[in-house]
Amino acid sequence: MSSEAGKSNMQQDPNGNGMTAVAEANAGLTLAEVRERLKGVKGKKYWRSIDELAGTPEFEAAVAKEFPDQASEWIDPVSRRGFMKLMGASMALAGLAGCTKQPEEPIYPYVKAPEDLILGKPNYFATAMPFPTGGVPLLVKSDAYRPIKVDGNPDHSYNQGSSDVFSQGSLMDMYDPDRSQRATVRGNVADWADFYEAYREKLLASKGNGGEGLYFLTSAITSPTLERQWSEAQKAYPKAKLVQYEPALAGTAFAKGFNPQYSLDKADVIVSIDADFLSGAAYPGFHKLVRDYAKRRKLADGDRTMNRLYAIESTPTTTGMKAEHRLVLRASEIPAFAADLAAAVGGNGASPSGYSWTEEQTKFLNALAKDLKASGGKSVVIPGLYQDPSVSFFAQGINVALGNVGKTVAYGTVAGQASPSDQVADLKSLVADLNAGKVDWLIMLNTNPLYDAPADLEFKSAMNNAKMTVHLGLLPGETGAEAIWHLPAAHYLESWSDVRSYDGTVSIVQPLIEPLYGGRTTHDFFQAMLDEPMVSAYEAVRATWKADLSKGGDFEQNWRKALHAGWIDGTAYTPGTTPTALAAAKAPQPVSKDTFEIIFRPDTNVYDGRYANVGWLQELPRPITSLSWDNAALVSAATLTKLGVEEGDILEITANGRKVKTPVLVAPGHPENSATLYLGYGRQEGRVAGGAGFDAYLLRTSDALHYTTGTVKKVDGKWGLAVTKSHYQDHRGKLAGGRGDGNYSLEWNEADIRGVIRAATLEEFKADPNFANQDTDERSIDHKDATLFPNWQYNGNAWGMSIDMNSCTGCNACIVSCYAENNIAVVGKQQVRIGRNMQWLRIDTYFEGDLSAPRAHFQPMMCQHCENAPCEEVCPVGATVHTPEGLNTMVYNRCVGTRYCSNNCPYKVRRFNYLLYSDFETESLKLMRNPDVSVRSRGVMEKCSYCVQRIQEVKITADKENRAIKDGEIVTACQQACPSQAITFGNINDPGSRVKKLRDDSRSYSLLADINTRPRTKYVAEVLNPNSELAEAPVEHAG
Amino acid sequence: MAQIFDRSSNALARMSLVLTGLIVIALGVTLDGLQRSPWVTRQGQRPDQPVPFSHKHHVQGLGLQCQYCHVTVEKSSYAGIPPTKTCMNCHAQIWTNASLLEPVRHSWATGESLVWTKVHDLPDYVYFNHSVHVNKGIGCSSCHGRVDLMPLMYQQNTLQMEWCLNCHRNPAKNLRPVSQIYNMAWEGPSSQKPVWCAVNGEQADKPTAQSVDCVTRDPAKNGTQVASLSLDAVRLPGMGAVSAQAGAGAVIPAQLSYTKFTSQEDLGRFLVDHYKIRKPNELSSCEVCHR
Repeated sequence: MSSEAGKSNMQQDPNGNGMTAVAEANAGLTLAEVRERLKGVKGKKYWRSIDELAGTPEFEAAVAKEFPDQASEWIDPVSRRGFMKLMGASMALAGLAGCTKQPEEPIYPYVKAPEDLILGKPNYFATAMPFPTGGVPLLVKSDAYRPIKVDGNPDHSYNQGSSDVFSQGSLMDMYDPDRSQRATVRGNVADWADFYEAYREKLLASKGNGGEGLYFLTSAITSPTLERQWSEAQKAYPKAKLVQYEPALAGTAFAKGFNPQYSLDKADVIVSIDADFLSGAAYPGFHKLVRDYAKRRKLADGDRTMNRLYAIESTPTTTGMKAEHRLVLRASEIPAFAADLAAAVGGNGASPSGYSWTEEQTKFLNALAKDLKASGGKSVVIPGLYQDPSVSFFAQGINVALGNVGKTVAYGTVAGQASPSDQVADLKSLVADLNAGKVDWLIMLNTNPLYDAPADLEFKSAMNNAKMTVHLGLLPGETGAEAIWHLPAAHYLESWSDVRSYDGTVSIVQPLIEPLYGGRTTHDFFQAMLDEPMVSAYEAVRATWKADLSKGGDFEQNWRKALHAGWIDGTAYTPGTTPTALAAAKAPQPVSKDTFEIIFRPDTNVYDGRYANVGWLQELPRPITSLSWDNAALVSAATLTKLGVEEGDILEITANGRKVKTPVLVAPGHPENSATLYLGYGRQEGRVAGGAGFDAYLLRTSDALHYTTGTVKKVDGKWGLAVTKSHYQDHRGKLAGGRGDGNYSLEWNEADIRGVIRAATLEEFKADPNFANQDTDERSIDHKDATLFPNWQYNGNAWGMSIDMNSCTGCNACIVSCYAENNIAVVGKQQVRIGRNMQWLRIDTYFEGDLSAPRAHFQPMMCQHCENAPCEEVCPVGATVHTPEGLNTMVYNRCVGTRYCSNNCPYKVRRFNYLLYSDFETESLKLMRNPDVSVRSRGVMEKCSYCVQRIQEVKITADKENRAIKDGEIVTACQQACPSQAITFGNINDPGSRVKKLRDDSRSYSLLADINTRPRTKYVAEVLNPNSELAEAPVEHAG
Repeated sequence: MAQIFDRSSNALARMSLVLTGLIVIALGVTLDGLQRSPWVTRQGQRPDQPVPFSHKHHVQGLGLQCQYCHVTVEKSSYAGIPPTKTCMNCHAQIWTNASLLEPVRHSWATGESLVWTKVHDLPDYVYFNHSVHVNKGIGCSSCHGRVDLMPLMYQQNTLQMEWCLNCHRNPAKNLRPVSQIYNMAWEGPSSQKPVWCAVNGEQADKPTAQSVDCVTRDPAKNGTQVASLSLDAVRLPGMGAVSAQAGAGAVIPAQLSYTKFTSQEDLGRFLVDHYKIRKPNELSSCEVCHR
């Protein structure tokens, strides 16, 4: 941290550390003044980062430069003389470089070729990713038996082919070069055989006393086979103990078995009470919930009905930003609000909490209650995971009272995990037993308690009381370094298992590759306790499902069918109508508004820390904050002012007598006097994870796992955060007609005047279906004929894309999918800070409204494949050219790196490979690459290719079969991953294609059409369905 | 004061100017020549291989079909290098003690791959697809030369981009009926060796290989020889005329109206139309080979 701090002090941070810039300007501009400037601004106001909102000179200066500071300068200052020398030498070598011979390449053919392998053609295998919130059914692409792309299983009823950042990123997790490669005992290299010998000896010795002193600490058990193995092991060793601990889920109602099934496609009114179900798989059922939510917002084929989402939340999430109405509450106020809402609609016989709400909050509560009562049976209330149990209780009560049960929500016979348990209580009793010296062997399986157990349990000192400690994990981590035995675990892509998804359907987890480092799984540990210790996980899974799969036919045949399809028929839960028995709860009284609240959340990218070493996920800008590579204490702008700090300053947060130092960052729409800390950071080890962020687990105690209270103070130092927000501004600023006063914002100009974001309410849309194109005249007209040359005629295929802004929830799954498909390099934090991130696809987040209660518009932005591409005009070497089918294609080998194309791109979607970002050295990462896409070297421009390798593959197949390409046959990587089906790709010359229909929709518009680029990507304008009673949301909030 | 430079230096100066120019030009020509030389392209070079495998012996001598070893040529971008098992199919029975085959037996015994050196090696940024070429009427010998006459494998053509584009800009000059893909001695139709082709139910979803029927003997006479790309249509001599469309209902070739071709140009044009070969501007577009 110290070196980091030093650097940041010296260099002015240009990239969106808004408050830094604002305050350093010292032109007397305080946050109060920023707010003052914003007052009185009429109409919609869009902005992307805080300094832009304030229209500061710094921001104007930043956008005046085409790239963020230093992005186009050399890191090492080279004198002019030195430069000439270098150039002279490279000119002399330039001619010779072309004459280098290719090295001779060896061919290693098989000795016996596998029967079903056609080299050059990928195979696809169905499997599933076990995840604490439920399995994600997958279809994994395998090239010569190396998994190279993970995607959702398109035939599975639960996710229907969609995926999320975690499942996409899990591919790199498997190829992580830092994975444990061998067993160690007390730090010395050992064998699995040595461990097994010791383990069996222990098991034999414990047989007599029923396994007393044998303790297992595992991550949540999601596998039915594992549950069966454990229950059998428990019979053999009745005194052995199993503790499940999942840091992100411990203490939630879900972990104890409360897992309602929502059918959002049947709901007109959706209420999220601190439930972030739109941002990622951290919420159970994410894939289905997003799809069903988006289904009711497509407004296709003349449909003029859509759902309405209310979000009450304690920290800004994409769910809140997508909501028609969002109410920001402090975390401890939410149970009281849930109680009052239940009282208002008559659920649970709840009585009002008696808490005094502000006028605005009361208005929201009343309007919401009225709307809910009016849509009984067609509404649904979703409680948050990271809330007091009473919130789940009240939400269920409201759903029962409104008659939603059996319609939009099912309770009853469903259970989330194979064996739900009270994880916190179990962990506490384990620590008590450890301290009492009752634990002989502590076996920790796929868990890392030394890092993520509640801080008050002092797990580290407790663990050392065990006579023997064993840790199984993908990475050694904190626990593996301390435990006596550390054993390498097998990744789910390397092992046999089974898992239930949200809807209960069982998927078989089948390996895609032999364990790279001889890893094993929890199955082997439990099986070793049974009569037949050597039964493999494969045999164990088959044994579990033998009965089910023998119904109606031959087991072997049904087993193969289940493996091929990816699930076992008839295992889905039967929707129950009996509400889950939840203990009647009373909402705890909210803490005083003067108390500083601290909220803990698993991270949107690295979850509880398990993906901290996955470069793709570290570099991914988070939704809302666009922060990559770190976590920070997220606070509201008003709180920042109150604390007297700037973004990037270090805060010391004290809670329950524990302290942690963290940089601070503004999150628009955060409640006042509270901070959100994302878990999963502050790791010491790992080439990617090491040194990123701070460890919020240090503050998290077992009695307050989700939020607590504490104090904050500023301490010395600075932390350079990598925020990608303002990286891709165009060179316009005042020249584009800005007023130059504080009320002018470039983004407002961009988003509103230039029509980058076009949105309307449902009523406006009904009155004027052409709202996205009509009154905007000039900016929608493409000047197709304003050219001296005849326009190119696209007669055959013409590829195009349509992106539905109404469906996009900004979950980032597309970006990680693009990483995997297109071999995109990870550049590292310092390079991101100077604007050199390589993602071909980004999600632009446009905030609308004021600082404390914004709404966000998420706009996936990649190469628009302009028919009139400005980049092509300026390339001196013809390295970016148009294909006859309308692709704007990059020829990497022609590119000499002038970067003129990027300068001339109005959408700022081109990425320049400044340094040698691609890893050509690490062996395990070589296996991960997509063989159909070049791995780009330094000095080359790159950008979205519309997945040209997939287009070519389909074209070749179709050509061989003498037929036209079918609509939907080509699926781009981003489209494939998207859980809300916001992206559609196809042939715009085919009148029957879906993309053609969407592009012809009245809401469809081109970005910056007036500059006559004629993009092939079109956006479908957003339509919101606000409640008329809440339509006039107050512009300025208290605080 | 004595002159520093003598009058003769004028001539020297002029000469050196001219010489510099010549040297620059010579350097350019040399580099250009070098770039296209077999030293760089590896044309004609026979790298050391673990086993001096003779295509001539196996193809011409024994009559092995190309696909016996290169099994995926019609299905995949790679033609496929045979596994050791393919060698052992025969060499477990014959030449079992030949010292030349020791590496093969070693590989078979130990499970270690034979390590061949690539003869036809394209740069990594070139994405060549064998299957579309053989399915669209480009024969093996068009690119690889007379492999059946090569005792040791070598690269016949430069495999440089200009060579690829040469054909992609005018595919007609190299197209042949797909029934002749594996015919190493194919030379194109001439007045001595005409080719008769007929459109055989040109409908959608019918693979290219079956949409055109080409024969090398006059179909008006008996004993039509029809070969086909698809394995199920391969037949033994004496089976008589059977449609290439085996199994999909017999269409008697005699009912087809055959056109006689005596020049490669005419045949090429016919095949470009009926194999639905893409237009030269599409075929020479960058993304066809570079991604």
